[in-house]
Amino acid sequence: MSTSRRTTAAAVAGIAAFAMIATGCASTPAGDDKEITLTVATFNNFGYTDELFAEYEDANPGIKIVHNKAATSNDARTNYFTKLGAGSGLADIEAVEIDWFAELLQFSDKLYDLSSDEVDGRWLDWKSEAATDADGRLIAYGTDIGPEAICYRADLFEAAGLPSDRDEVAELLTGDWDHYYSVGEKFTANSDAAWFDGAGAIMQGVLNQEEETLESRDGEVIATTNPVVKDAYDSVLAASEGLSAGLQQWTKDWEAGFASGAFATTLCPSWFLGNIEGMSPDVTTWDIANVFPNGGGNWGGSYLTVPDQGDHKEEAKALAAWLTDPEQQLKAFVKTGNFPSQVDLQTADELLAVTRPFFNDAPSGEIFADRAVAVTVAPYKGTKYFPVMNELQNALVRADVTKNMSPAESWDQFVKDVAALG
Amino acid sequence: MTTQTLSAERRVRRITFSHRLNRWDVKVSPYLYISPFFILFGLTGLFPLVYTAYVSMFDWHIIGGQGDFVGLGNFEWVLGQERFWQALGNTFSIFLLSAVPQVILAMIIAAVLDQNLRAKTFWRMGVLVPYVVAPVAVSLIFSNMFADQHGLINNTLTSIGLSPVGWHSETIPSHLAIATMVNFRWTGYNALILLAGMQAIPRDYYEAAMIDGAGRVRQFFSITIPSLRPTLIFVIITSTIGGLQIFDEPRMYDTYGEGGASSQWLTITMYIYIRAFGQSGGGQFGHAAAAAWILFLIIVVVGLINLLITRALVSSTSASKRSKS
Amino acid sequence: MTIPQRPPLTRRRRGAAAASNRPGLLGYGFLAIVILSALFPLYWSFLIGSGDSTTINRDLDWMPGGNFLKNAAAVIENDSVNFWKALLNSIIVSTVVSFSVVFFSTLAGYAFAKLKFRGGKGLLAFVIATMAVPTQLGIVPLFIAMSQWFHLGGSIWAVIIPALVTAFGVFWMTQYLSQAIPDELIEAARVDGASMIRTFWHVGLPASRPAAAMLALFTFVATWTNFFWPFIILDSTNPTLPVALSLLQANYFIDYSIVLAGVLLSTIPLLILFVIAGRQLVSGIMQGAVKG
Repeated sequence: MSTSRRTTAAAVAGIAAFAMIATGCASTPAGDDKEITLTVATFNNFGYTDELFAEYEDANPGIKIVHNKAATSNDARTNYFTKLGAGSGLADIEAVEIDWFAELLQFSDKLYDLSSDEVDGRWLDWKSEAATDADGRLIAYGTDIGPEAICYRADLFEAAGLPSDRDEVAELLTGDWDHYYSVGEKFTANSDAAWFDGAGAIMQGVLNQEEETLESRDGEVIATTNPVVKDAYDSVLAASEGLSAGLQQWTKDWEAGFASGAFATTLCPSWFLGNIEGMSPDVTTWDIANVFPNGGGNWGGSYLTVPDQGDHKEEAKALAAWLTDPEQQLKAFVKTGNFPSQVDLQTADELLAVTRPFFNDAPSGEIFADRAVAVTVAPYKGTKYFPVMNELQNALVRADVTKNMSPAESWDQFVKDVAALG
Repeated sequence: MTTQTLSAERRVRRITFSHRLNRWDVKVSPYLYISPFFILFGLTGLFPLVYTAYVSMFDWHIIGGQGDFVGLGNFEWVLGQERFWQALGNTFSIFLLSAVPQVILAMIIAAVLDQNLRAKTFWRMGVLVPYVVAPVAVSLIFSNMFADQHGLINNTLTSIGLSPVGWHSETIPSHLAIATMVNFRWTGYNALILLAGMQAIPRDYYEAAMIDGAGRVRQFFSITIPSLRPTLIFVIITSTIGGLQIFDEPRMYDTYGEGGASSQWLTITMYIYIRAFGQSGGGQFGHAAAAAWILFLIIVVVGLINLLITRALVSSTSASKRSKS
Repeated sequence: MTIPQRPPLTRRRRGAAAASNRPGLLGYGFLAIVILSALFPLYWSFLIGSGDSTTINRDLDWMPGGNFLKNAAAVIENDSVNFWKALLNSIIVSTVVSFSVVFFSTLAGYAFAKLKFRGGKGLLAFVIATMAVPTQLGIVPLFIAMSQWFHLGGSIWAVIIPALVTAFGVFWMTQYLSQAIPDELIEAARVDGASMIRTFWHVGLPASRPAAAMLALFTFVATWTNFFWPFIILDSTNPTLPVALSLLQANYFIDYSIVLAGVLLSTIPLLILFVIAGRQLVSGIMQGAVKG
């Protein structure tokens, strides 16, 4: 018995030793060696494919790229702040969404300076100004923006007696939000399906057309007192009663709704096209209409940052510059529909010629270029924007999806939750 | 005579020295043996406990670092949060919905397993299979089965004519779903522990009772349960401690990990996590530490209450008979 | 041990008693239902995991599709999930922690159970009390300590170190050893001149085997399936299996066939261990119980 105990002990000691060696090896930086591994962390879908990274690797021998994806911007944000606090664990390039970008900007001293002549003039002023910190350092490169159009199910439109050709649909839906809702009422009178997926998505569309919504420019949270927000809340929920499918974004039921035809239209920022294709691969009747209530709106849009805690900041900076170069961004647009934030590209011929086979060969380049021009308002998003918007979305879910509370009760809860954010 | 005395003296001295060594060995060894545990535990168990109390007294941001001293301010703040109380209520509800059926079911399973089965090991191993499935995995599986509109459970309910249940939208159904996950994982484990206790009960008792004419059920209540008292206490206490701490299952129950838009299934540990690292207003270590300490105190109190209840419910006469023999 | 005034229990009586203790169809039926409900979720995962992204939304087909291997390959090859790394990390962490917990718990348990020393009772009560300390309590200071003081953020040592000893382990071994080793055995060894450590090595350790094996197995499983702390301190380049699972869900949240294939893949190693060591575990329970 003691012999087997000894061998067991020896075996485990061996494993422990192996473990120490293995972890020790893993933690030595690879920078002194020939190959550098750069990690790129994105979320949802940036349109960066393995082929794209392979191109860069071929052009830059000695660099290997690993791509990590978080499912949603929420997860990416939690991870970013946790690892920032830990002082390690972030990727070499980290993607940031506009909604929590200002929040991150508070810690700009933990981000690497990305200023360079190479990228001068690449973006619209408002995009690159937002990415410059108080010391004048450019700490992020813009990737895409999110001009919105309307994606719709042509088959459901036809069945309800509405026009299904995309130009006709564009004409039909031209107008403001009330007009959008009234067309919806005509639809639901003749169909079992709902008009749109959920109140949450519509709220995003409505609020992104206003200048000051959840916060004032001097940094105060005004969400609970701002009449703009309350009016939007009331009107969206009133419309949702008859028109909403009652689905919350990024849930299983919501995904299933795209495939099952639970709703006829959805607000469609350009980065969303790839998602729709993934969620309803067997559906052939999705199409894009070159229209949006009140003309245009922007939802989302991201940046690439290089955290200061990384080991290969210069190489990461070069890669980030390459990824946000108009040529690469065009490829992303073709792949998943992420509309470029790069100025030159927005009017380029190659962009305007892009079509999207899944959506009945819709001319997505033209459509989103038109919608981008129609964007007149850049809403102010400060440091508390993300948490407050999160609570607002929760309020809408309570009233529209789970129907746990009436709109009034849910609003009261929202006011309390915003106060609790501290 | 002197030589003899001399050698006797020498012998005495030698015995004295090794005797002293021996006594030192006996005295010190126990402390040496328990010291690795206490040293490691001190570093990894006690230190966090104490340091959490320290952190809870400050304004402490995850990135910004240590801030001003606020004394009991964080505790006040947490106790004033509606969400905290909701989380507390949810935690207790899920705990009761899982612990009570679990212990009962585990007892029944153990009682059946205690009998003279064919292929004993197969049955006993079989009930333990869910234990090796990671809670994260269990949650991913079950949250899909319990999806509101397209889940397996609701599909089955509608196909037999019942109305679908809002597993993710309503509070109690979400607790039931999560409690099911917990029960799935732990019932077999607890059944085996109870089985071990049952196996220790001398067979003579049962045979004697049978000769006296007591039926199976009577035997169960008069012999099995009282004799199982220490084991039952152990199972109930560990279920309590574990049940009040669950995190994995409710966290993975949906993609957002916030416990639902109205905090339907938000548990205390999720609340702590979100305050410390998470989404709405996250990054406040001070608040999270205060909430963690409150949870600790609650566990201690509830554990003690459970201990007293179990001791009172399960009669002690047979247990003392056993200790005498 | 004997109950007075009962007729002596002859072998025939005992045999009759044992025979009547055999469960009927009801007993076996009940057990069969229990086992089926235990295995059903796994089977359901296999059904979905062998389909494609639309399978989960369709009505349940009781026969599996043919895609399991394809989906499993997608899981393993996914760069951001790092399956092999996660598997290796889980093996290392679980093995090291199990060994450590069992060894230190046996050592301390032996001392508490069999050795008389001042403060023994009090310290043991303290150990038991600490079982009430929730693991989540310490995450904030653990996080600060591991990442900011020791710079172990993202390393598996940040996961191993806090798990090296458990109060439960000490409690378990103390309970077992106090019953399993007759005091006379130790006395005999001491009288023969053995030192304390030799007594432990030759009397204590061998006697602890059944309970130690059980503790090792339980600790292994608990460490393997641990999610909360590794989720916080590790990142996607160096995960353990449960963390990798959550990353898989993040990467493929549209395609649940791949996620559930990954769930099964991550469960298989433990199932294998279970099949190998399960018998030992169960007999350990039975042995340990009989001794009592």
